[in-house]
Formats: sequence, structure tokens, C-alpha cells
Amino acid sequence: MARLNDDAQWIILMGFLISFSFFFLALIINQSTVVGQTTAESVIEFPKNDIRDLVGVITTNTSRSNTTVVNSDITVISLHRKNAVVRYSLIQPNPPVDLHSYASIHYNNGVTTYYENWTSL
Amino acid sequence: MAALVTMRINDKGVSEAIGFMLIFGMVIVGIGLVTLYGYPLLLQQQVSADEKIMEKNMIVLQNDIKSLAYKAVPFKETSLKIGGGSLTVYDSSYSTPSSTIEINDNGNNPYIPPFTPGELRYESMSAQTDIALQNGAVVLRRHVEPGSVMLAEPRWFFDSATNTVVFNLIKITSDTIMSKEGIGTVQMRLVGEPSYSAAPPIPNGQAIKLVYTPTPSGGRQDYSVAWDNYIIKTFDNPPYISMTKSGGPPGSGTPVTYTLTNNGSSDMTLVIKIFEVNIKSL
Repeated sequence: MARLNDDAQWIILMGFLISFSFFFLALIINQSTVVGQTTAESVIEFPKNDIRDLVGVITTNTSRSNTTVVNSDITVISLHRKNAVVRYSLIQPNPPVDLHSYASIHYNNGVTTYYENWTSL
Repeated sequence: MAALVTMRINDKGVSEAIGFMLIFGMVIVGIGLVTLYGYPLLLQQQVSADEKIMEKNMIVLQNDIKSLAYKAVPFKETSLKIGGGSLTVYDSSYSTPSSTIEINDNGNNPYIPPFTPGELRYESMSAQTDIALQNGAVVLRRHVEPGSVMLAEPRWFFDSATNTVVFNLIKITSDTIMSKEGIGTVQMRLVGEPSYSAAPPIPNGQAIKLVYTPTPSGGRQDYSVAWDNYIIKTFDNPPYISMTKSGGPPGSGTPVTYTLTNNGSSDMTLVIKIFEVNIKSL
């Protein structure tokens, strides 16, 4: 008797496998959007330029007189313009012994808290 | 020929009518199952997808507001699809605000006039859920439940190194009443300079009192549970600030007072900044 030729059943089997793998891929892709969003957000949120500006201002003002006024000005301006709480302290060079100035800088804008110990060259 | 006859299957019981009815019955049962169970399930999926999309959209809008407020960007525009409900802007002066915030000193003297933030609110008809962008935070509330949850936080913070408490209040205003469904573009701009007030230093033992008054109607727009969780998480810093809570409980529509007492060795600085964001169009 003539039997059905079932040599090509593997095609249907492969079809099943491929559709299941698509299903799992979709699951993974669905997750990846969330991961991408949060990662990108945290990169954008980091106040890189604000911190650079602040460190720049502080380190160029090490030799100014009346440091208390400069200090409070910088604090107020950062709070007003950059929306960040800033505090720093400066140690002036002590020429014969030590030629470096030192600054310890604290920065906090509610998302990022940052500390830096800076030493002049 | 004889061999073929003996090989044949006995098909006396085969009926075309019964076969047809069996197959037809199976098709009808299949259609019935899909209509009764499959279709509502699909609809539900659609509704929850709409809700999830709007949650993300609101966070995108919150990022826009962050750019306006904290990064000195003057204008922002975002296109989005609002499905399953509508997005409405409520001006800061709206008569039944979802919340009023007062910040007082130890003797209950206000630092700022009572602050009503205004909001951008997505009201989902099908999911029975509200998602609101208020005061820089994204909060979600289901209509039937008294609780609410904060999806994205505002930028209020306490800096322990300098003993500073910062409140960034964001006021949303609009010139007209606006609502949108479907695809829309949200345009917003920063109005003027942020108002900035640094209160006199608060010595050890003195306190700041934050009063959160939810909507007087006590209805669906009471987000006090979400804010309560956030305020406790942000400002309850035992070594520096001791916090006590009175009034409430949150979710009951009554005002809650949070007393933040300075426990640190130095004076506490209080900074209140108010940003005004104007929604140009939806």
C-alpha cells in the first residue's frame, strides 16, 4: 500500500523551534529597553560638567585674598545656579616647607554626592 | 483483487453528517473559548500596556522638567502617545489641589506661602488608574485603593556633610485648561528665575515643620501615602535629624506634619527653591 512520505517532517519541527526562539528573543528584547533606559539616565544624570566647573573655579582661586568671601560666594552661586550643595576648604602653600596648595571639595546635588581631594602641582 | 478487498477497513460506521458536526462543534467551541476568555485577556493586556507606556511617558516628561529646572534649559518639547485615557494639565491655582505644602519654622511661622504644585495628570478610564506628575515626582494611584506609589522621586535632599536641607518645589502652570488624548506634543518652558530662599540658620534643637495637606475632598487625588514614604526615606536621618510625624494617617485625607529637628552639632541650613514650569501646549 502507498504510504505517506514523511521525510520532510523536520521542516515543521524546525518551524516550531524557530518560533519558540523568537518568543524568547522577544522576552529578552523587552527587558533590554528597561536596562538601556536606566543606564542612559544615570549617565546623563551624572553632573560631570558641574563638578569640572566647580573644581576649576576653586583651584584657580587658591591664591586669592579674602578666601571666606570667595568661599561663601562659590557656595551660594552653586546652590543658586547648579542646584548643588557645595563645601570646600583650602590649604595655602607654606613656601619653604611645602609648595603645594590643597583643597578638599564636597559636592551634593541630591542625586550625586562627590568628594575630591585636590593637590596643586 | 481479492487481496485488496481483505485489506480494506470496515467503514460502515463512518457518517459524513456526524463527522461534519464533530468538526463544526470543535470550531464553534474554539471560537467560543477565544471570545469568552482570549479576547478579554487581550484587552486587559492592551490596557496594562497603555498604562506601562504612560508610566514611561510621565518619566520622560519628568526628565524634561528636570532639564528645565536643574540644567537651565529654557524650553522642552516631547511627543507622546496617550492611550486608554487622557492627559490633563492642572494649573497651580486649581481650586481643589491634590496637595498643599507648607514649610514652617519651630514657631509655625511659614517660610513660604502655602504651596500648591499643580500637575500633569494621566487619567486612565480603562485601567482605573491615575498617574500624576506633581512637584517633580511621578506618582501612581489606583482609584479603588487608598494607597499610592511614587514611580520617580523629586529632588529633595539632605546633605549630612553641610547639614543642609534642600526642597526643590516645582510649580506647574498653564494659561488655559488643556487635555489630550491620542498623539500629542507636550511643550513646556521655564518661567523666570527660580525663586530661592535661604532661611536663617536653624540651631541645634530647633526644627523645620513640613505640613503636607492632601486634597480636601479626600477622594481619588490623595497621594499622601506615596509622599509620606518618600519624605520619611529622604529626611529621617537619625544621627543628624530626628523626625517625628503627627496628624494623618496618610491616605485618610487629613494633613500630616513632619517635624525635622536638628540634632547635628552645627546649625542646619534650609534652602527652598521654587521653579515655575509653564505648559505651553499638550
